[in-house]
Amino acid sequence: MTTADRLTDPAPAAGAQSPVQLAADSSVRKQPRPARSGRRRRRAVALLYLLPALLPYTLFAVLPLLHTAYLSLFDWDGVTLPSFVGLDNYGRIATDPQLRAAAWHAGALILFFSVLPICLGLVSAAIVSRRAGRRGTTLVRTVLFLPQVIPLVAVGILWRWVYAEDGTLNQALRAIGLGGLTDAWLGSFTWALPAVGLIGSWVVSGLCMVLFLSGTQRIDPEIYEAARMDGAGPVREFTAITVPLLRPEFAVALSITVIAALSSFDLIYITTGGGPGNSTVVPGILIYRLAFGGGAVGVASALAIVLTVVISLAVLVINRLSREAP
Amino acid sequence: MSPSPSSPSSLSRRTFLTVTGAVGAAALTACSELTPGASSSDKSSTGPVSTAIPADEKITLVVADADDTTMTPGLIAAFRKKHPNITVKRNYTGWDDYLKSINTTMSADSAPDIAQFTSGMQNLVPGRLLLKVGEYGKAYGWAKKFPGLDQITLTPDGKTVGTGHLYGVGAGLSFEGVYYNKSKAQKLGLTVPPATLEELEALFAKAKAAGETALVAGNLDGGLNHAFNVLLSAHLTPKDREAWAYGHQSATIVLPEAEKAAETLKRWVDEGYVTPKVNGVSDNDATAAFAKGDGVFRISGNWAAAAVAEGLGEGAGYFNMPPVTSGGKVRTTGAGVYYCVSSKSKNAAAAAAFLDFTAGAEAAAITAKAGFMAPDAGAMPSQSGLLGDVQKGWQAVVKDAGLQPFIQNSSSPTMADTLTTQLQLLAGGKTTTEKFLAGLQTDFENYHK
Repeated sequence: MTTADRLTDPAPAAGAQSPVQLAADSSVRKQPRPARSGRRRRRAVALLYLLPALLPYTLFAVLPLLHTAYLSLFDWDGVTLPSFVGLDNYGRIATDPQLRAAAWHAGALILFFSVLPICLGLVSAAIVSRRAGRRGTTLVRTVLFLPQVIPLVAVGILWRWVYAEDGTLNQALRAIGLGGLTDAWLGSFTWALPAVGLIGSWVVSGLCMVLFLSGTQRIDPEIYEAARMDGAGPVREFTAITVPLLRPEFAVALSITVIAALSSFDLIYITTGGGPGNSTVVPGILIYRLAFGGGAVGVASALAIVLTVVISLAVLVINRLSREAP
Repeated sequence: MSPSPSSPSSLSRRTFLTVTGAVGAAALTACSELTPGASSSDKSSTGPVSTAIPADEKITLVVADADDTTMTPGLIAAFRKKHPNITVKRNYTGWDDYLKSINTTMSADSAPDIAQFTSGMQNLVPGRLLLKVGEYGKAYGWAKKFPGLDQITLTPDGKTVGTGHLYGVGAGLSFEGVYYNKSKAQKLGLTVPPATLEELEALFAKAKAAGETALVAGNLDGGLNHAFNVLLSAHLTPKDREAWAYGHQSATIVLPEAEKAAETLKRWVDEGYVTPKVNGVSDNDATAAFAKGDGVFRISGNWAAAAVAEGLGEGAGYFNMPPVTSGGKVRTTGAGVYYCVSSKSKNAAAAAAFLDFTAGAEAAAITAKAGFMAPDAGAMPSQSGLLGDVQKGWQAVVKDAGLQPFIQNSSSPTMADTLTTQLQLLAGGKTTTEKFLAGLQTDFENYHK
């Protein structure tokens, strides 16, 4: 309702009429009621304004979600008549070992999609903002943000070349005399997951930087000046002012990147397809395999619902934590 | 701009909720079209059929396929030339995406008239979305025109292949064998073709000793299945092999012969005959590397012939996978580009005419040019060089009736993913051959329970 309240606020003129009404009606009704009904009407009008957004949202997000939840109660191959199985699909999910692996991998990806990019974004934002106006900063900013505008499928193909046996990474290792360390990264049971994760870091870091940059611009320069007067260096400035004051941006960055980590699909589908073995399988890959190849639409739907709930909870927790006073 | 709250035109919250609710309910009703099993009425059987197609009527056929060669477009063009009143539209999709979307595509009201049949489409059979073309088959005499029709004959539940109703034809056939680099084989003193599997392995050892990659492979996307499939073909009895691949009741792959096949493959990896770090190389990249001159041998299908011939030129050679014992029958793995007809097609007669057209001599030239084996093997123009060697190999396979299905194509819809996963575990040394086979069997049993 917060949006609705905010929408009605700028229209006090409309509300100004209600006292007249109130006086007229007071003989029949108790006072508070008409006041509330006025507010109610204003709310209704606000909801009317929301309708154009709400309608497509309902049609294309809420209803498909409900439909998925409905399908998750059936055993269905996607073609023939389904049979109702209640919560059996959810039970299957709970006991599936492959899924447990997928959950672990998604958790590990948070490290690469959230923690690492936020650290990198923070540092690069601090450096770029301190050097604002100097030559080259725009270029640096653009280059760092660039991965964000490339379609993820293209990113995946690009990094397949980088990680290949005779790819850029191994060539670089050989060039600096570390040829012994080379590996077919995406085919290694040890390295495939970190390798895929680092692609995510590469993609998301630029976005985090831009978020934090906009945040630092919001911070009053006088605070920095005061700190400098007190003899704070760039590092102290960073830890004592920039980081604590960027709290809202942290929340946004964390929400976006955690969602990206938990719902990751395209990058992994393009680079490893979940392999080698099951070492990079994530829930998104399993949902896709089950629904489109495996003819298990019900289980896939159940898994999708569980994933949605988990992501929503994660975002809820992040927002709660970031709202509390420091 | 804000309307006065007292104006009668203003909306109360209740009205708003009512309207939203009504719209939502209407949308949900519309969605009930999507609810499981909304369709059904058996249109998959044909009445009496004829081989005549009206020549004065404008007909449009839509063909959906994942054929990345020149075959399907070539056949369509030739068919259109022969029947000017029939317009054929082609919907091409890449293989992976085709596999995953074809069931949805065929369930839609706008389903294509003709579709390339692939693994996973068995589900369409109990859904009655594929036309039983047996009557057309009788009218046209397909049994004599097409080899390998059992691969597209399915039981009513779609779970067992080889018996039941006919659902399509195999227009272009493919099979697997061994490519080799002639110049390197000569330099290393390797005598080809080997008479037995054991001899082939001895050649691998020799190549390895000379510092070469003996068997070029890529398993990032499960490409070792080519080697495993042909090893299974060689080791298993055709009966066991087909029972499992076709999803027969109580079939199993946990057999001593399959164990031997898996052990052989594992040994090839462990001994270092196979491309190092094979799990990090894609199947296409392996073909490309071999065509560029890397390694000595490569087990792949005739679809790779064009690329290998182009890359190695005169230096490209081919032989059929050798049997376990000398003089044994040639057995290998293969599939085909199968076309089936949608039960929703309004032009089934024209669609059947297209299916029949693919068996003809005119089609054979197009099919052969695309690197496939034509149903009418005699009508294939004779070729020289590598393509000629492959063609001779095909004739030997046909003579011994040695073409067997890929185990991942019809055993279960999830087998392709499972096989890839298990092969990566096997090649990565993360599983034993027993567990490997058990993993495949579990997938099989989950589907055929």
